[in-house]
Amino acid sequence: MTIRALKQISTGRNGVGAFVLQCKKMDFHYCDWAGSSRGMNGFIKSLLPKFVGSHPQVEFSVSPRPSKHPVIIAQYINGREKAICVRNMEPYEILKKAELLRDASGEQLRKVTKPVQSINESVRGVWSPYHGNGMQV
Amino acid sequence: MSRALLRSVLELRAPVTRLLPLSIRPTTTTAAAAPAAASVRFFNQTAQHIEPTTQPDPTIVANNASPPDSVRTLLPILAAQPGHYITLLIHGRPYLVTQGDSIRLPFKMPGVEPGDVLRLNRASVLGSRDFTLKGAPHVDERLYECRAVVTGTESEPLRVKIKKKRRCRRKKTVKSKHRYTMLRVSELRIREEAVHES
Repeated sequence: MTIRALKQISTGRNGVGAFVLQCKKMDFHYCDWAGSSRGMNGFIKSLLPKFVGSHPQVEFSVSPRPSKHPVIIAQYINGREKAICVRNMEPYEILKKAELLRDASGEQLRKVTKPVQSINESVRGVWSPYHGNGMQV
Repeated sequence: MSRALLRSVLELRAPVTRLLPLSIRPTTTTAAAAPAAASVRFFNQTAQHIEPTTQPDPTIVANNASPPDSVRTLLPILAAQPGHYITLLIHGRPYLVTQGDSIRLPFKMPGVEPGDVLRLNRASVLGSRDFTLKGAPHVDERLYECRAVVTGTESEPLRVKIKKKRRCRRKKTVKSKHRYTMLRVSELRIREEAVHES
């Protein structure tokens, strides 16, 4: 009988080979007039340069958004984006929100009951009534 | 039965030889301890200094001792099988994983960033299709290498709990949105050379 290869779709498992950060772009929008943007302005001047320097794999952009609340928008590799409005927050609180966006994958928030998620087939095999010790009736 | 008496009776059943410093003398002895063998017994000795003369349990591996015969003979066969699983214990909680699985821990691990590699050294079971290495209570960490990468921190959806009592109009709202650290098991390897090292 000829030997044929089994067709298998390659599945990427981030972390097994190389690790790729899921967040690819972060936009920081500020406003010079709005009082709610005071913390954001301070964050951009003081904490943002160090945050940007420690993440060379993420694209950052800072742009004014006049007459609006300050907002951080993060875009992810799976195409989704997450926005967090940081109105009336202090610079260190905004840094925590930026770290939250960096740690997240772009997946929608969902409740997960089981801790382990796997695509490998079972190591010990699926139970069969015809193999093993049998059943005494 | 008092604890001292119980200990002496147990020691009578399995007499123990110990290396004792000559300067310390026993303060009290009970009647059960007196007719024992030539060794002197104390009531405040810790268990780890006792060398058992009974048959040693084959699944227990002492720190500096060589692995038992079943481990030495069967570990290479376990390692040669195609698939392996390991039951990791993270803060005492078991997670049965194979290589490439993702684990969602029930807490947010402090001080880690995405991309950090954790070396996991606490496991209770290491197995393959036909063989299982059971630790008592843990598998010797020199026998395997298991690494996990922190992939990020996920959050659950916002949960709102409304607390209200009957015949009282006041309602209290409690919001929860817990964060969970996600790991990916990047490496699970059985170290056969550990059997030959010791």
